[in-house]
Amino acid sequence: MFKSTPKNPIEIKISTVVAISVILHAADRMALDAALKKMTGGVPDFFEGDLAVIDVGALPPASASIDWASLIGLLKSYRLNPVAVRNATPAMEQNIIAHGLSIDSGTKARDEVRPAPAATATRLPAAADETASGMKPSAMMIDTPVRAGQRIYARGCDLIITAAVNNGAEIIADGSIHVYAALRGRALAGASGNAEARIFALSMEPELVSIAGVYRTFEDGFSPELARQPAQISLVGDRIDILSVNLASRS
Amino acid sequence: MARIIVVTSGKGGVGKTTSSASFSSGLAMRGHKTVVIDFDVGLRNLDLIMGCERRVVYDLINVINKEATLNQALIKDKHCDNLFILPASQTRDKEALTETGVESILNELVNMGFEYIVCDSPAGIEHGALMALTFADEAIIVTNPEVSSVRDSDRILGIIQAKSRRAQTGSEPVKEHLLITRYSPKRVAADEMLSYQDVQEILRIPLIGIIPESESVLHASNQGNPAIHFKGTDVAEAYEDVVSRFLGEELELRFTNYEKPGLLQRIFGAK
Repeated sequence: MFKSTPKNPIEIKISTVVAISVILHAADRMALDAALKKMTGGVPDFFEGDLAVIDVGALPPASASIDWASLIGLLKSYRLNPVAVRNATPAMEQNIIAHGLSIDSGTKARDEVRPAPAATATRLPAAADETASGMKPSAMMIDTPVRAGQRIYARGCDLIITAAVNNGAEIIADGSIHVYAALRGRALAGASGNAEARIFALSMEPELVSIAGVYRTFEDGFSPELARQPAQISLVGDRIDILSVNLASRS
Repeated sequence: MARIIVVTSGKGGVGKTTSSASFSSGLAMRGHKTVVIDFDVGLRNLDLIMGCERRVVYDLINVINKEATLNQALIKDKHCDNLFILPASQTRDKEALTETGVESILNELVNMGFEYIVCDSPAGIEHGALMALTFADEAIIVTNPEVSSVRDSDRILGIIQAKSRRAQTGSEPVKEHLLITRYSPKRVAADEMLSYQDVQEILRIPLIGIIPESESVLHASNQGNPAIHFKGTDVAEAYEDVVSRFLGEELELRFTNYEKPGLLQRIFGAK
């Protein structure tokens, strides 16, 4: 592999960023401030300058025009960095742009014809945190055993591993985790908050699993039907559930 | 083309020095000019196992610090003309081992015509162990068939794959060999010990040999004579098999089956 010097001083490419959706159900600054304070629990760096897309689609249409300067100031005080607004009415758009935010047209943009360099995107379910542009890298793939003390992090995508994950290893993904072998170490899916992420393994024997920050250890072992079987781990409400993916055991 | 082989494990007390001593002796007895280096600065014991502790004048750190030449520090083994030992220092601490120092010594040994350079690593994953594995072309991972040893071996494999010179420069990866030591087929049959297949399933590297648990090893250390010289014992035969496999021969695994002794044998004290 060799690097060629680009002929242009600047290149424009389609890229992906991970952004937080800030879905407003009220426009009142005091109410929003109180809610954010409760959510962050007083931790000043709960959000670490994360990019934020403000979703105003849930606001009642009759609400007074939004004080964008005040809203931006409030989000920044909690270390969120608002960059765009989604589901705004056409009447709001000029005001939004005047405050330095972009309009995120959401699903409409994905249907547009893309120029040649863009790869086809794998569409994730809408419930997953969406990105500022329409594409995600499909998955990080690892084909060698993950050994004790090693840590793998698949940022912004799924993680697929075709060899064993040994005790003492740690695998992390913002998306789901798929292990086509034995999973014996720690697996943390939905690391950036995606509660829909799941963990799959051909032999589910992990030390610890976590989805969107909710974790579970298996100190009492696994039930006989699930021990060392193909299984999936998912987050149901606030509980980690382990289910078989073995067709033979489905009723 | 000289080959640098590190004998390492992660876990302590599993048989690295015992194996380094017998392995390098085995290579030398087959006519290959071999040197074995003790990287355990401060806790040296390779010279004890080789039986040359009373002939140590200069050591690895002296050579790195240019206080002595390699010729002055190398000790010729009393059992075999082709084998040389480079002892570690008993008094200095590990920080005296520098990467550039180690590299220059290894280069000098290659230029002196050594075919095999065996590096006996200390236990752990810190500086001493790192220095022993950095320049390795091949690695022998010594593992006892027991859970903490297997876990530590897994750890050291990850470190070799990340921190060796070959890994960092993107060259052909270090060739890994699994050496299982202190194996007891009787305990495996009684489900008290991991089988060699269990160990391989976790570590996933080719098996170069199995050394059975044996009292001969203790006798060997006490006498300062590597176990491979005790002709006829199971340990000596097992180490000879390891050397043969390393040199390319394909041999069946021995000492893996437990034969329950008959009634008469048990009466007369067979174990």
